[in-house]
Amino acid sequence: MKDKFSGAFLLWRVALLLLFATFAGRCAQTNELKFESQLIWATNDKQSPNPKHKDVEPEIRKKLDELPLKWKSYFEVNRKQFSIAKGAASKVAMSEKCGIDVKDVDGKKVEVALISKGEAVWTRTQPLPKGEILILSGNAPDKTAWLITLKRIE
Amino acid sequence: MPDNNNSSTDDKSLVRAAQKGDMVAFEELVARHRDKIYARAYSMMRNEEEAIDLSQEAWVKAWQRLKQFQGESSFGTWMTRIVINLCLDQLRRHKRQRAESIEAMDEESGGVERQMPVVTVNPTERLERVELRQRIDQALSQLSEAHRTALVLHEFEGMEYKEIARTMECSIGTVMSRLFYARRKMAVLLSDLKKPQ
Amino acid sequence: MKQELQLKLQAYVDGELPDHEAGEVSELLAQDTEVRGLVSELKNTRAALAGFEADIKLPENREFYWSKIEREIQRFEKAETAVSPVSIFAAWRRFLIPASAIAALVMGVLMVGRQVGHEGAHRGPETETTFADSGAFTYRDYASGMTLVWLSYPAENDLLETNPGNRLD
Repeated sequence: MKDKFSGAFLLWRVALLLLFATFAGRCAQTNELKFESQLIWATNDKQSPNPKHKDVEPEIRKKLDELPLKWKSYFEVNRKQFSIAKGAASKVAMSEKCGIDVKDVDGKKVEVALISKGEAVWTRTQPLPKGEILILSGNAPDKTAWLITLKRIE
Repeated sequence: MPDNNNSSTDDKSLVRAAQKGDMVAFEELVARHRDKIYARAYSMMRNEEEAIDLSQEAWVKAWQRLKQFQGESSFGTWMTRIVINLCLDQLRRHKRQRAESIEAMDEESGGVERQMPVVTVNPTERLERVELRQRIDQALSQLSEAHRTALVLHEFEGMEYKEIARTMECSIGTVMSRLFYARRKMAVLLSDLKKPQ
Repeated sequence: MKQELQLKLQAYVDGELPDHEAGEVSELLAQDTEVRGLVSELKNTRAALAGFEADIKLPENREFYWSKIEREIQRFEKAETAVSPVSIFAAWRRFLIPASAIAALVMGVLMVGRQVGHEGAHRGPETETTFADSGAFTYRDYASGMTLVWLSYPAENDLLETNPGNRLD
């Protein structure tokens, strides 16, 4: 009788442990949001004078072509992937002069601030589900433009 | 008592009566201010029919919001602000329908106005009032909506840069650039004068 | 003449310059003919525009114009005070709507409880705050899930070096 009970008790403990592990794993997954951000230079020149620049990936190129933008070439200047815990924020430097601050708001929205010379110059709060992209952009010298893309990858 | 004080006092009485539901009093207010409200809509929209529709819509809105008017400004100013906002909404709808590209907007604020030579002729000295008004009318129609709006809000509505920026939802720098471009373009268009016979 | 000076002169004409800057411009006016020329042009244009709207008259007579406004006001007021006839359907609807709302709420709570961490499809309102008069223009493509925000601030050189082709990194 004692064996029967201990066997059942063991089974119960294993089941509980498995349940806990699943739950913890799920919580861990949902407690962190993963993003990718790119700094892109837009120009009508066919090539960038900077050899470190590379053409943006076809997927992002396709997206940019769908927008009402006039440039012929887009070069990836910098790319960063980062994670944010739920309710937390992350500062991401995209270049010496600029970066973005990304903060999770309630797990459903993100607050994105554009940082220039160490100061927030613009902020937006919006939902950013997985797969969607937020693109900040503006003029750069010689009729070119800068773009910062932010995409949630997990 | 000066006339404007009389009409101002009368406006207040009419507004008070209209706020209590007196439609006759409201109709009198409409009669007094209809030209001004229409003129503001026409300056912005450059289309008679649209200006009439928007000015009427402004009056209907004014009736609905009359109880909110506390006399913080004159009734006329309060009314012009209503019609300006309606015109801006309509211009935004125009913009969405035309699907203006960012490129077009970029060119709009380009540097061409810096290169126009300074106009030395004073149009008010060279033209009769009627002809001057016709010239201005034509010149206003040749400005883009954004440039014209900035000009109308500053020159006719008397708004400061900051207020124009808030109304047009753009930066003060953009307001200044648009205003400058509009004025320079107006000067060039008005300077294309025939010498008086 | 640089654009910065041109806009400063405009602000001077418009009375939007702080006193010390207005003083500087006054001195410049005394010395520079080009500056005087532009200020004169701006003032002439302003003078030409003054009173322009005073001559614009509404091209409809008083009664006709008012009749349309009155009709529209009455139409709104009727719509606001309209009472639908009581019907069995209406009575049931009065019960069904709150009941179904409560049921939907309960369902929603149960579903949320099951879907911890799962992104719903609902998109809440988007809000935007700008600092320093950034003049942002937003373009949203719902089909492809992209939002483009075009900023006129910061100024061109604030984010990138003068020659971005060489110095972006």
